[in-house]
Amino acid sequence: MLSLSSLISKASSLIDPNILPPSLLNQVNGSTNDGQTPAVLFRSNFRLPDSESPLAVIPCELSLPTGEHYFGRLHLSESFLCFSSSAPSSVSGTSSSSSSAAGPPSCGFTLPLVAIRRVERLHSRSYLFALAVTTWHNDQKLTLQFNSLRSTCEKFCEALKKNLRSQMSEMKNLRMLVGSCYSEWLVTGGKSKDGAKEEPDAGLGMVWRYPGDAKKLRDRSKMRLWAEYLRENGRNITLIRQPTFHKLIRVGLPNRLRGEVWELTSGSLYRRLFNPTLYTDTLTEFSGRHSLSIDEIEKDLNRSLPEYPGFQSEEGIGRLRRVLSAYSWKNPDVGYCQAMNIVVAALLIYMSETQAFFLLSTLCDRLVPGYYSQTMYGTLLDQRVFESLVEKTMPILWEHLVKSDVQLSVVSLPWFLSLFINSMPLVFAFRVLDVFFLEGPKVLFQVGLAILRINGEELLDVTDDGAFISCLKNYFLRLDESAHPRSDNEKLRAVTRFQELMVVAFREFSGITEQTITDQRTKHKDSVLSSIESFAKRTTLRNLGPESKRLSTNDLGYIYDRFYKVLYERQERLVAIELEKERLNEKKIMSSARSIGEKSINEKGRIGLGPSSQLMDYDYFREFLAGVAKWAIADSPSQLFSPGLGGSLDPQWGGNGRKKSINLSPWGDNAEPADHEFMQRLFRRWDTDYRSGLSLQDVVAGLAGIKGKKDIMESISYFFELYDDDGDGRVDREGILRISEALLFITRRGWETPPNIGDQNRNGEGKGGTDPFLGSVSGFIRRCFEYADPDQQGKQEEVSTGVEGMDELVDLLDLASDDEDGESVKSPVKEKGAIKGKEKEKDEDTEEKNSLDIDPNTRPSAMSANIALDPANPLHITLPTFRMIVLADEVLEYFFETGFADSIVLSTDGSKTPSGRNISAGASAFGNLGGGGIAGAKGLRGVLDNIVNDGMRVAQEVRRRMDEAQKELERNAVPGKYKEDEEEEGDAKSIMEGDRDLLKGAEASVVDEAAKLAIKTGLPEDGEASGTLLGSPTSSLATTHVGEELRTPTTPMPTRVEFEMDK
Amino acid sequence: MAEGGPKPSSSVKLVLLGEAAVGKSSLVLRFVNDDFQENREPTIGAAFLTQKCNLPSRTIKFEIWDTAGQERFASLAPMYYRNAQSALVVYDLTKASSLAKAKHWVAELQRQASPGIVIALVGNKLDLTNQSTGLESSMGGLSLSAAASDGDEEEEEEGDARQITTAEAKSYADEEGLLFFETSAKTGHNVQEVFTAIANAIPESTLKTRGGPGSGRTGGGAAGDTFGGSGGVNLSAVGETNKDGCAC
Ligand SMILES: Nc1nc2c(ncn2[C@@H]2O[C@H](COP(=O)(O)OP(=O)(O)OP(=O)(O)O)[C@@H](O)[C@H]2O)c(=O)[nH]1
Ligand SMILES: [Mg+2]
Repeated sequence: MLSLSSLISKASSLIDPNILPPSLLNQVNGSTNDGQTPAVLFRSNFRLPDSESPLAVIPCELSLPTGEHYFGRLHLSESFLCFSSSAPSSVSGTSSSSSSAAGPPSCGFTLPLVAIRRVERLHSRSYLFALAVTTWHNDQKLTLQFNSLRSTCEKFCEALKKNLRSQMSEMKNLRMLVGSCYSEWLVTGGKSKDGAKEEPDAGLGMVWRYPGDAKKLRDRSKMRLWAEYLRENGRNITLIRQPTFHKLIRVGLPNRLRGEVWELTSGSLYRRLFNPTLYTDTLTEFSGRHSLSIDEIEKDLNRSLPEYPGFQSEEGIGRLRRVLSAYSWKNPDVGYCQAMNIVVAALLIYMSETQAFFLLSTLCDRLVPGYYSQTMYGTLLDQRVFESLVEKTMPILWEHLVKSDVQLSVVSLPWFLSLFINSMPLVFAFRVLDVFFLEGPKVLFQVGLAILRINGEELLDVTDDGAFISCLKNYFLRLDESAHPRSDNEKLRAVTRFQELMVVAFREFSGITEQTITDQRTKHKDSVLSSIESFAKRTTLRNLGPESKRLSTNDLGYIYDRFYKVLYERQERLVAIELEKERLNEKKIMSSARSIGEKSINEKGRIGLGPSSQLMDYDYFREFLAGVAKWAIADSPSQLFSPGLGGSLDPQWGGNGRKKSINLSPWGDNAEPADHEFMQRLFRRWDTDYRSGLSLQDVVAGLAGIKGKKDIMESISYFFELYDDDGDGRVDREGILRISEALLFITRRGWETPPNIGDQNRNGEGKGGTDPFLGSVSGFIRRCFEYADPDQQGKQEEVSTGVEGMDELVDLLDLASDDEDGESVKSPVKEKGAIKGKEKEKDEDTEEKNSLDIDPNTRPSAMSANIALDPANPLHITLPTFRMIVLADEVLEYFFETGFADSIVLSTDGSKTPSGRNISAGASAFGNLGGGGIAGAKGLRGVLDNIVNDGMRVAQEVRRRMDEAQKELERNAVPGKYKEDEEEEGDAKSIMEGDRDLLKGAEASVVDEAAKLAIKTGLPEDGEASGTLLGSPTSSLATTHVGEELRTPTTPMPTRVEFEMDK
Repeated sequence: MAEGGPKPSSSVKLVLLGEAAVGKSSLVLRFVNDDFQENREPTIGAAFLTQKCNLPSRTIKFEIWDTAGQERFASLAPMYYRNAQSALVVYDLTKASSLAKAKHWVAELQRQASPGIVIALVGNKLDLTNQSTGLESSMGGLSLSAAASDGDEEEEEEGDARQITTAEAKSYADEEGLLFFETSAKTGHNVQEVFTAIANAIPESTLKTRGGPGSGRTGGGAAGDTFGGSGGVNLSAVGETNKDGCAC
């Protein structure tokens, strides 16, 4: 339990609850249901980047150079010193309550540590502890008087000192940033040494004019007021927010400062501070690249605020293009969403490209999360929240809308999505934005509610969507008119409708706080996501392509659910493991995670939240299969060793990982999937686009290929093609062996045996369920070789690889094997070494046949007596041969007829096959059985499991056979037969001796030791030696006897596969 | 117009669906205002407009929902096609992918929208093909202009930017029982015809049921709603049956 809670607190500090599904939220937050962790709250209060966390806090009194005093709390994070006053002063319009919930605190600052020039300890009365802080704009000194225990004060100072020092390196960034700020230019007149030499870029408005009549907007007076405020209270990076600051914003920002203040109040300024070159770097990195988003952006460039002259120019369009593309590259999960073009276009009127880029990312991440995502869940969620707020605050209107069947969101959705920019005349939309960036998303709700309230009476007369829309459209067009045109009071007459709107929004709806919104979002999130998901599912299933028609709707639905379940659960699990690893390593990611792309972990976990990755890699695929087919579950789950955790294992995880309440296995609570060559083949076959990942469509098509086959011929061809690597219609010797291996693999836990074939019991209910199958498979191999065709001259197959295990298996099982087997391999296998070398260099994942690797000249001219079994004499079977052989055996026939397809169980309505639940139950029962003692011989073991119910006896039986086989091998060894391979052979032998020793130990430890060794040796590079080593348990089996005829060198790859499967 | 008093008039809800930038808003603008704008802002969420359509026997008042075309807006669509009696599924003749998208929409509507919804498949931007005169007769001689991939840019040239043949779309429309037109919002070609055809195709019975929620409606519309000269047939609320399609 302990580790669970610590993980959770760690995780929650990294995860923004605003965009987590509630189900997860509840886990993360335990008892608190407000969805806000202290860290999140802290960051959002001070608009800090996600990399910041609250390190220390102390009550304190702030004295400003201007003479004001504020009591409040001083916070320290990795790179910021923040203050917020606790007692709100006389700011009008904000309700008084805790600083977090209501409007902004009356005074506060968010000071990057790098902007602090100097901190002095003040000599003062002994019981007081005070600091004087000199900021970058050194015309001001702040006095901070701590109200706490001396030791606490000292600790705080220590931490401050330490962090101050670590921030020194950011100085260059600070200079760059300050130089680009319009406030700097305004206050210094461009003359300061740190200030800008020329007027900083304050948006397209500098060239194409700002919207609205500057005179009417009283832009000049506003500018003067701001200049004064900035002189006294610091600017850009060192600004202190006093009540006047909020008032200045409420009356509307002056054009040239607007962009910078938006940046400052939203906090995007700090992102820019720490990533000074991110924007330009991104543009450079991705220049000339194409994507769907880029296409979509291009479509809309000419369609963004076309009425503004700046966007009829190449310059304006170019800026828009660059900002939108850069963001789409930086956050591909969002990419581009229509409406972003309008928002960014609006921003660009007031700010530079870089500023707009960071403000856009702040918008998408924090202010309107999920609005522009693939599923737009944020938009839909906020619509739901808005509806519920209307219902609460204006019940009569709400009831009327419901009765008239008017859907509120048809009007309100565009308001939120384009932040009113599309709905109101620009000048007014910008006024709303001024407050929005200062106070957050609640402003959208307040303004929306106020619009309805003001138009309430008219709306009560409206009875359909159309009238509803036109009523409000009309209202927006008249925002500049007097709100009280007929009033006698001149002052009242001067009040515009827009002013009225602002007053109603922020006074009447002051009860709508950030907390309200958070709570409401949490409350509705689940149902919104569910409806998005059911829509997505419906649409997706319909569009899965023709292949999908071969599966039932139920099956498709099941595959869909299972696909995304595996995808998201696994992603979450891997993140959790990652976090836990981090925690254990005590490596806190401090300031390193500043890039804006780092937030990706937040966005995962649910389809409704939008796709992260939609592809399953091989491990996901294994997990998927393990849930639908019992043969895909590993026989002996690894306990000590889980790949997800790399080599650095904490001892406390040793042994039974289940002791800890968090399951750190990369497979979670699911049965560990097997890893068999057959599964790899399936994966490659399904991966039609060669992406090393399967989309839902791939999986559906893949399953349709197996389960949707109408007749046995198709099913046989499917299997054949799986092994026809080069698609030439032939399967070589190795392929034949692999096919038999796969047949045993699939059936090793029993399968639906036909009712009247053989007298065996069925499906593992009793024993011997696969016995007839065993016989059939061995018969299959024999027949294959019997009927195989020799390869043509020049058309040669690669020497088969890694099938020792198989050979042995065949021999062990095939009681009818011919005597001649024993002596057939006579021909030198000269090319082995050469091939080996090549093999080593090959990517372990690719298994292409390099038939040309073998120089035909090195082939022995004389064929040995039994061509079929001579590895030097390539042979193959064709599909017709394969078919004939399968059909010659009624068990095999039945397997291909139904058994194979039925071994994969999709929707649980099929009554004849075991359900998914049964599968996992079976798996765990199975896990108790073998204990992992007989690594490598999975096919065989599965068989034996059914015969002998005692794991130990199974193990002993196998070991006995292996020992016997080994002796047999030694007896039969013909000196000189493998002249060229002497070294390798020697190696292999000696290692096998060691292995046999290992085998004598406890069964479990064999596996574990092998696993460790394997890791140490480094799999692919070690060629045959390690191949043999890794395959040891199998190989000893393999080497057993006869196997020699078929025995061929092992390539690292397949052997490793076997090993992994058994670990 | 019609002698002997006002014709019966009824409201018909129509929704436009289709890939982004195929010209949905432009078609509506042409129909409603007989106007065309080169650079239209993309539709955010949806736009709402109304326009009357005069048939010999009655007047149809279209309540038009023009939706956003970008893929990710698709989950909002149920909000707009809810209760719609007719739909205009638009694709861009010069963009092959847009017909595929249109087919998705048709399938979605057939399964999720009101049963009996009248759907018209519309290929827009006919003016960009060298068939912009609208001579349907030349249909047989159409070249499968698969090579014209970047047709958009050369719209003024004689080169045929068409990527979807009339035959292909027509046969699909026939299969699915859709009305089918090729239009140009730019020139206005066939635009009025689409809406008239839809108006004609709306069964009388549906016309009356539309009023379900709106039956309390004030003003002139109500008269039209209750007119129902064809007798009190089938008042079943067609539009009410499929609420689960709504994403909100
Ligand atoms: N040549 C030509 N251009 C057209 C035609 N109809 C629309 N366009 C152009 O295509 C672009 C997109 O038109 P819109 O009507 O906004 O497209 P939409 O389908 O409403 O797009 P969204 O709202 O984004 O879904 C605009 O630039 C139009 O000028 C047409 O018939 N011919
Ligand atoms: Mg549009």
